[in-house]
Amino acid sequence: MYRIRFHGRGGQGLKRAGRILGTALFRAGLEVQDAPRYGAERRGAPIFAYVRASRSPIHERGVISCPDLLIIADPHLLAMPDSGVLAGATTRTVVLLHTGEPVSLWRERLDLPGPLLILPRLPGEEERFRGAVCAGGAAALLTELDEGLLARAISEELAHLSAELIMTSLGLARAAHAALAGERGIVRQEEPISAAGYKTPAWLTLACEEAAVSAPAIHAAATSELSQTGLWRGKRPVIDPGRCRGCWWLCATFCPERVIAVDANRRPRIDYGHCKGCLICLRQCPHHAISAVPEEEAAREEKA
Amino acid sequence: MTRTLLTGNGAAAWGARLARIDYLPAFPITPQTEIIETLDGWIEQQELVCRLVTLESEHSMLTAAGAAAVTGVRVFTATSSQGLLYATEMLYTVAGWRAPLVLVNVSRGLSSPITLEPDHNDVLAVRDCGFLQLHCATCQEVLDSVLIAFRLAEHPQVRLPVLVNLDGFALSFTREPVEIPDQSTADRFLPPFRAGSLRFRAGEPLSAGVAVLDGSTYSYFRYQAHLASLQGLAAYEKIAAEFAALCGRHYEPLECHRCEDAEIVFVMIGSFATKAREAVDRLREAGERVGLLRPRLLRPLPVAHLRRALAGKLGVAVIDQNLAPGRGGVLLTELAAALHGSPDAPPVLAGYVGGLGGREISSEEFFEMHREVRQAVTRGENPPPRLLFTGEELRAVRKLQQVARADRLGQGGEQR
Amino acid sequence: MIPPGRQHLRELPDRHCLAAGTPLCAGCGGLAALQAVCDLLGEKTVIVNAAGCLTLLAAYPSTPFRGSWLYTAMASAPAGAQGVRDGLDILLDKGAIGTEENLEVLVLAGDGSSGGMGLSATSAAIDRGLDFLYLCYDNEGYGNTGQQASAATPRGARTATSRGPQGHPGAKKDLFAIWAAHRPRYVATVTAAEPLDLARKIETARNLSGPRLLLALAPCPTGWGYEPAEGVAIGRLAVQTGLWPLKEYVDGRVQHSKIPQPRLPVRDYFASQGRFAHLLRPENEQLLAALQDETDRYWQEVEEHA
Repeated sequence: MYRIRFHGRGGQGLKRAGRILGTALFRAGLEVQDAPRYGAERRGAPIFAYVRASRSPIHERGVISCPDLLIIADPHLLAMPDSGVLAGATTRTVVLLHTGEPVSLWRERLDLPGPLLILPRLPGEEERFRGAVCAGGAAALLTELDEGLLARAISEELAHLSAELIMTSLGLARAAHAALAGERGIVRQEEPISAAGYKTPAWLTLACEEAAVSAPAIHAAATSELSQTGLWRGKRPVIDPGRCRGCWWLCATFCPERVIAVDANRRPRIDYGHCKGCLICLRQCPHHAISAVPEEEAAREEKA
Repeated sequence: MTRTLLTGNGAAAWGARLARIDYLPAFPITPQTEIIETLDGWIEQQELVCRLVTLESEHSMLTAAGAAAVTGVRVFTATSSQGLLYATEMLYTVAGWRAPLVLVNVSRGLSSPITLEPDHNDVLAVRDCGFLQLHCATCQEVLDSVLIAFRLAEHPQVRLPVLVNLDGFALSFTREPVEIPDQSTADRFLPPFRAGSLRFRAGEPLSAGVAVLDGSTYSYFRYQAHLASLQGLAAYEKIAAEFAALCGRHYEPLECHRCEDAEIVFVMIGSFATKAREAVDRLREAGERVGLLRPRLLRPLPVAHLRRALAGKLGVAVIDQNLAPGRGGVLLTELAAALHGSPDAPPVLAGYVGGLGGREISSEEFFEMHREVRQAVTRGENPPPRLLFTGEELRAVRKLQQVARADRLGQGGEQR
Repeated sequence: MIPPGRQHLRELPDRHCLAAGTPLCAGCGGLAALQAVCDLLGEKTVIVNAAGCLTLLAAYPSTPFRGSWLYTAMASAPAGAQGVRDGLDILLDKGAIGTEENLEVLVLAGDGSSGGMGLSATSAAIDRGLDFLYLCYDNEGYGNTGQQASAATPRGARTATSRGPQGHPGAKKDLFAIWAAHRPRYVATVTAAEPLDLARKIETARNLSGPRLLLALAPCPTGWGYEPAEGVAIGRLAVQTGLWPLKEYVDGRVQHSKIPQPRLPVRDYFASQGRFAHLLRPENEQLLAALQDETDRYWQEVEEHA
């Protein structure tokens, strides 16, 4: 059975990616199971989707813990400890990372136990097409799929969209498929967990604890600050100090997250650890002192 | 201490009064209303310092009750039947908050058809909501159980809401002699409420009832509520012993009447169990070795006690005053699960459903159930479950059906 | 008496009560309104919440609050507020807590709860004269489940359950009027896009006691179909087109706190959001005219009664 997991963020079309791949594998004659998973979090927040495919009926259910193929639509997710992107990756898990950066860089950064492939950013690729791109890249790695099946699955899954959007998605998915054509067959189906010689679950007998700790209540203030929602951002609002007139109250007042504070010099400062990148500040600044910089670019500049 | 005649509702109100409740969110429903009216009278006359607020529904009533309990005051409330079901979402919710309040339910059959008379489908429908459940058979037990329930709810190892159940009409509107403990005795038994860490105050940030969005953490909290409920058994026994020392009335988790040498045992909850008790005495006079077992504590279910009490018995007749359509009686399945695997479990476990919507269960019916079970013991097989219903009853229903159909024909309807 | 408000944005608090890191959508108009309320109410507040998008603010072990929070259920947040208020009052009366430990009780609910399931509990709480503030974030649909039509969905809006060529056929339930009919202490419509008006109304409400409602239009990028950056502009357009009248009910009278001059055509507002895109098609010309007409009539009545 193939166990494939897609990771992305709300708004990138990852649910669609799972469905496209699921449909393509189904059309190729395999039994398929696909599902999205999203929690409380929203546009920009981490979500994942998974696909199982097999020649025989599938009885596994729920989240895939040990994937054969892991597609990461957004490298930012790797910085979020809670996103669980690399959970369960082993020596035989193929990781496909969608980034404009070179493979050498990520090999060093991630130090993965198994193979790492890069699905490059494509010309004309907008955030909302990322699902189709990732589905195209993933399809290229599976021997059961070809470009025809991929195109058919995209047409089926995006049938409710305009012809123009379908054409763009098809074009991008094909380009992604072509970019990884040399890696066909790199992902192998894994056998089910054997009942002979498995790892024993570490069950314990839970003790009763007093309600002060065992009720679902939080006896602390402002713990949400631990969530680095800044990682949700696609684009970063950057204040041009030359243009900013020091009228700190417009951007700060309208910021729905209240992450623009005023420093000692009465200048606005954005808390990038938490700014989700809604860009209301950019739209509200009367002096056009705020610009939107793609996050990868901003991060590169930051490192430089 | 005073001995006087009180209804079950009056006894429940006295229990709440002696507990010095701070807050009484209320909503009227027959046959419970007398409880809140009685308490309201005392509040009016300044015999009780308590805030009564009438909500617009039982759902809101339980919300307010739970919210006040986690704010740090002692809360008592009461409902019945449809009201209990309307509040069900909040019963689960406030139990999850670990809000230590006491709720009296006056049992009444459920709609549809709508009715006023008692059975236990209401209270058993909320069997799994997380409230501990105490079931009463007499008006005295109602009063005493309310006091015990507050101790249990507020016990630091438990800290869960407790439901005290009494039957509509059979107890709620029935006067019996009841000993009312002195306030000083009640105060010695039940000290003032200590809110602990679950409370709302300026300067003590608390986010309560929050979402829990992953299965493992959710499981932890749910398991803990279950473990706390299980702790309730030992806590109950200790509290009941203290109560006995102060007031002289001892309420074991199971009431066992003439069970020691019994071969056949009736199992029932609630006030109709006193009818079974009477039948046991008559059967004993006729030379039969028979007893009655009445669980007071249904949540947590005293499984080990049940196994012990029924060990070596030849047959058990479970009389369910409730009906789970498509399955039968709820207590029967509870008991079967409790006894399963016990090496000396009774070989015959017979299920009877009776007493729905206040239908009487006669002495003769108890005698006959005993005979059937004994026969089953001899034959070595379980009898099929029986719905108690007689030929006379069916004939009476037939007469009503004729009227119901004639009425339609009179309107020009077609006969089918 | 309505006190004068602040004249300039710089007079608004620059210290904030809610912490960052919430799991809500980027650009959430409901959060923006709540931020303003919390900024002015401060930490001595307990928020009693009904099921909706903002329920996710506190998800174990994460909370943005420096005050307190209690999630109840969808239908009964005002009853939860009753329990907390009564509990605190009982403790105050007994002398078990001092006034410095007291809290303001704030109900926080979306339009789905406020105009539907929670309306009976709300009506009863007003009836009882409960001393509480109620913030309704109105995103005009069941936003938390993917924007299905609610009682607050305006006519013509496309939602997940009104996808037809003319959008939602029903009219928006008038929660302001429903509240006002109960003769509570205070009712006001607000939006975070008008922060001075919002701040003045929050402070007016804060300084009164009894049942008080702040009904906030909460632009929702996810449910309404627009880029999050446009949220404030859209809120402002709602006011400028006259579709979201800023008004308050106090001492038995309704007053408009802002009369849009000139009033922009409603078309401008509809053009800003995906949920109304179909209204601009030629086949919906009549519907668009009817919606303009409805708004015109509303303001004509306002002028006549001025």
